[in-house]
Order: sequence, then structure tokens, then C-alpha cells
Amino acid sequence: MTGRRLLPPIIIIAACCAVPFVFDPEKSYLIYFLFMASIYVTLAESWNIVAGYTGQVSLGHHAFFGLGGYVVAIAWSRGLIGYLSPIGIVMAGVAASVLAILIGIPLLSKLRGDYFALGTLGLGEILRLVTIQGGAFTGGPMGILLPASSFGTIRPHYFIALFLALLAIAVSLYMAKSYVGLALVSIRDDEAAAEANGINVLKFKVLSFAVAAFLAGMSGALLANYVFTVDPQGFYGLNWTLYPVLICVLGGAGTITGPIIGGLLLTAVFEIARYFLPEIHPIFSGLFIILAIIFLPHGLMGLRIRGGGKAKGGAR
Amino acid sequence: MFTSILLQVLINGILSGTMYGIAAIGLSLIFGTMRIVFIAQGTIIILAAYGSYWLFSLMGIDPYVSIIFIVPASLILGIGFYQALFRKVARAGQFPTLLIAFGLMALLENLMFVMFTGNSRAVQTSYASHALTVLGIKISFVRLMAFVMAVAGTGAVTFFLKKTMLGKAVRAASENLEYAMMVGITPHTVNTITFALGMGLAGLAGVATATTYGFDPFSGFVFSLKAMIALAIGGMGSVVGGLLGGILLGVVESYAAFFLTGGWADVVSYVVFLLVLMFRPEGLFSRDMSAKL
Repeated sequence: MTGRRLLPPIIIIAACCAVPFVFDPEKSYLIYFLFMASIYVTLAESWNIVAGYTGQVSLGHHAFFGLGGYVVAIAWSRGLIGYLSPIGIVMAGVAASVLAILIGIPLLSKLRGDYFALGTLGLGEILRLVTIQGGAFTGGPMGILLPASSFGTIRPHYFIALFLALLAIAVSLYMAKSYVGLALVSIRDDEAAAEANGINVLKFKVLSFAVAAFLAGMSGALLANYVFTVDPQGFYGLNWTLYPVLICVLGGAGTITGPIIGGLLLTAVFEIARYFLPEIHPIFSGLFIILAIIFLPHGLMGLRIRGGGKAKGGAR
Repeated sequence: MFTSILLQVLINGILSGTMYGIAAIGLSLIFGTMRIVFIAQGTIIILAAYGSYWLFSLMGIDPYVSIIFIVPASLILGIGFYQALFRKVARAGQFPTLLIAFGLMALLENLMFVMFTGNSRAVQTSYASHALTVLGIKISFVRLMAFVMAVAGTGAVTFFLKKTMLGKAVRAASENLEYAMMVGITPHTVNTITFALGMGLAGLAGVATATTYGFDPFSGFVFSLKAMIALAIGGMGSVVGGLLGGILLGVVESYAAFFLTGGWADVVSYVVFLLVLMFRPEGLFSRDMSAKL
């Protein structure tokens, strides 16, 4: 990577870091917007690792997101961790990873394509129902209320969200450039050929699943520290799978820039729709998926590649 | 005494399981010819249930009479869905079609939520709580009617597939598309018919749902999942298999709800689903395995 190519990302990151100092975090809408966008980008990049690069479409991303939120809520409400505890956030990521490995080994060794998608969808439902049945431990259907009085400013949340998004992008970049990424893409393109070339298909599939779960779990943990109410509908909601999928499809699955562009675009569309059409904005998410698949099968990134005529490697 | 309770639970399970079965048959048909996992099936069922509900509460049309409006409307909806949404991407692989179905589900759920609110609805007919007593076992009239409708729907689809020319074309295309095309069967025609059939069954299931359960805009998703589980249990082979799978699932849930509690019954059915997916994936979508190799 040359210095010239490195420059724009550095400027963007520096600008993002400067935002809370230029604008007042208590009043500025921009900070909230970038906070949500960063969470969506993190989720989208992590989903992209499994679906876009490895080709295993998971519809259970909300399981890991929700688990992350609940790990923080359960530990915090019992006084094991405090407000915005980094240990809690990492712990949430680790818990999600462990779940991904435990469920990923049997699911990924047996199931392909649609079956894997349906299996992960079932996983999300099981977690949601078990949480509702969990009684005092999980707070049942009402969820867990966290001490909202500890909230001071959105500034730390913003920086953690930005850090998580950058981490997700960095992991994706590493995966794209390294042997690991090559192995994942080869599994996506032709699993039998990958196996014939000595790639341990299951190992790499589970690895990508666990890494994605780690990032999703930490996002859930961060949001729990912001909304202070962790309930089954909010944290195990299908939206946490729907939105990353939509972002990747819109931006271009299997690319690194795609989910970033898609994430920013979609957050903007949602926020505008939420402001002007508060009632019907969720309708748009469904409509966008359908329109994106029919008219932009390779996402916005695909459009650029087709237009620029440099259909090289990475983006597919 | 205890045996008669167990028998009652069994009957209830069979009756509610037919609902999953009828949804599963629609899924099975659509998957069989197009390899589309039509996850919006349950949401279409709820849409039809709303149709039946509004016909009843606004115009006083009995839900069983409303079948003559709902089913044809669903058939047309099916044709529209295929032509508008799936025609272009039908051969693009399973990932885009699954996502379109997923998007359609989200779109319809939220559309219904905005239009009909999130309140739970149920059709309150005069006979809604009527029950027949046979050998000391109570059988709810509306559930028995749902069972009859499911069996009649299954019979009609089986007859169509086995005895009519168009039905034979659908079966031929789902067995081997290339060979079917060689003898002059147009894939788009077959796909359109299949989609219409699947949606027609969803319409029938919708009427049955409206009369037997309370429903809200978001209950369709659970229905779709249950239909998938029914397919996983019954196997993809035949239309009757889907119905039997649904009935078996209904019985499992019914006993789980009886021995554990209602909330755990769903957990049990998802665990059964995951176990079947893991250990008997060939039972699920069995014909697909040979198609992939």
C-alpha cells in the first residue's frame, strides 16, 4: 500500500476523532449519527466476513449481538463490572465467540447454503426464547434495567464505537490480504477445490464465524451501555441481522468499502425517514433489500467497479 | 384419567400441527421447483388471515365463505410475486432469492403493522368456542375445520400434481429442469404456477389461522420457521410428507407444552429443528442434495 492510498483513510479517521471536540457532544446530532453508523458498520463488516468472504450466509447475527448485550447486563446488574467497563465489553465478545465456536462446529461441518442460514436463524430464536424463560437471571420478557444515572456524555461511547468499527475494518483488511482471507474466498468460490488444495475448510469457516461473533458481541455490549435497557425484543430482535445484511447487500458484499458506504447511507436514510416518516420507516428496510437485490446485485461497489471497468479480484 | 388427558393432548397436537403442515406444503412446492426458501410464507398466511378478519368484521362475511375470495386473491398474489420479484433472479442462486424473501417478509410485516396496528386480532364467530365431544375427548370445531381444510388442500394439490397436465409439468420441472425443458416445458410458466399454488395454500392456511388463533403482523415469521421444521421432519419428497411433518411437529409441541410449559414448547421445537438439520439433513430438502452434487 502506497502513501497516497493511505492518506484518505487517515484523514477520515482523524476527522472522525476530531468531531466530538469540534461539536458539542451534548447537543450535536452528528455525534449520535456517527455513533449509530459505527455500530452498523461494525455489524456489517463482521457479517461480511462470514457471508461476503466465506460465503456462509448467517441469519443469526442477532444471537451474538443480543448475547453481548446480555453478558454486560447480567454482569453489571450483579456488580461484577461497572459502567462502560472494557472488561465487560471484551467479555461479551469472548462469550459470543465461544457460542459461535460451540454452535459453529456442528452447524458448519454439516450444513451448507440455505441450511446453514436456517440453522443460524433457529439459533437466534432459541436464544431469544430461552432468555424470555430465564426468570430472574435474565429478567424474563421485561429484560434488565441498568443504572441509567451513570450516563454522562456520549463521547466515550462514540470513541468505542469508532474503535470497534476500525477494528472490524482492520480485521477485514487483514483477512482480505492474508493467507486466511485467501482461504476464506477459496472456500466461498469452490469448497471442494479448496479442500482438495489442503485447506481445512471447517477450521477456517469456524474461525470466520467466531471472529464475526466477537465483533457483533462487542457491539451489543456497547449498545447495552448506551440504552440501559436490555430486553429480548430490543437485543434479540431480527433487526440486528436484517440491517447488516441490508448494508452489505446495498454496499456490496465481499468488499471492505461496501459495508462502510452502505452503513453510512443506510443510517442516513433511516434517520431521515425516522424524522420525516416516523411511523413507516421500518418498511423501507424490507423494500431496500428487495430493490437492491433486483437492481444492484453487486451493491454500490459493484456499480463503481462496473463503471470504472476495473473488475479486479477483491470485489465480486 | 391420565391416559385420556394424554389422548386429548395428542388430538390438540394433531389439529394444530396441520396448520404447520399446510404452510410446509407451500414451501415444499416452491423449493422443489425453484430452490427458493420462501421465508415470507408465514407472513403471507398472516396477510390472508387479515383479509379474512376484515371481510368478517367489516362486511360480516363468514370466514369459511371468505375462502372463495381469499384463495383466488392469493393465487393472483403468487403470480404477481413471481413476476415482479423472482423472475429476474430465479436463476441467480439461493442467496439473492432468500434475501428477497427475507426483505418481503420485513416489508409486509411492517406494512401490516402500520395499516392494522400491532394489536392481536382473532375472528370472533358465534361458533368459535364450540366443541364436539367424542369418546370423552373435546375437539374444537374451528380446529377440526382447519384440519379438514388442510387435508382438502393437500388432496387438491396432490390431485393437481398427479392428474393434470400442468401439474405433471410442475413435477417434471422439480425433478429435472433440463430434461423438462427438453420436452418443451417453460420454466417461467412452471415457476409461476408453483408460486401461485404455494400462495393459494397460504391463503387457505390464513383463513384457518384467523379462525383458530389470535394473530398480529409479526406472528408470520414463527409460522415460517415452524413450516421449515415441519419440512425438516417430513422430508421434501412428497406433499403428504409436509403435512405429516407438520402434524408430528404439532404433537411434539403439544406434549412439550403439557409436560414443561408453553414457553418452552417453542424452544423444544427449535432444538428438534437444529438436531434434524445436523443429523438428518437429507431428510430436509432431500432432493436438493442430488441436485447439488
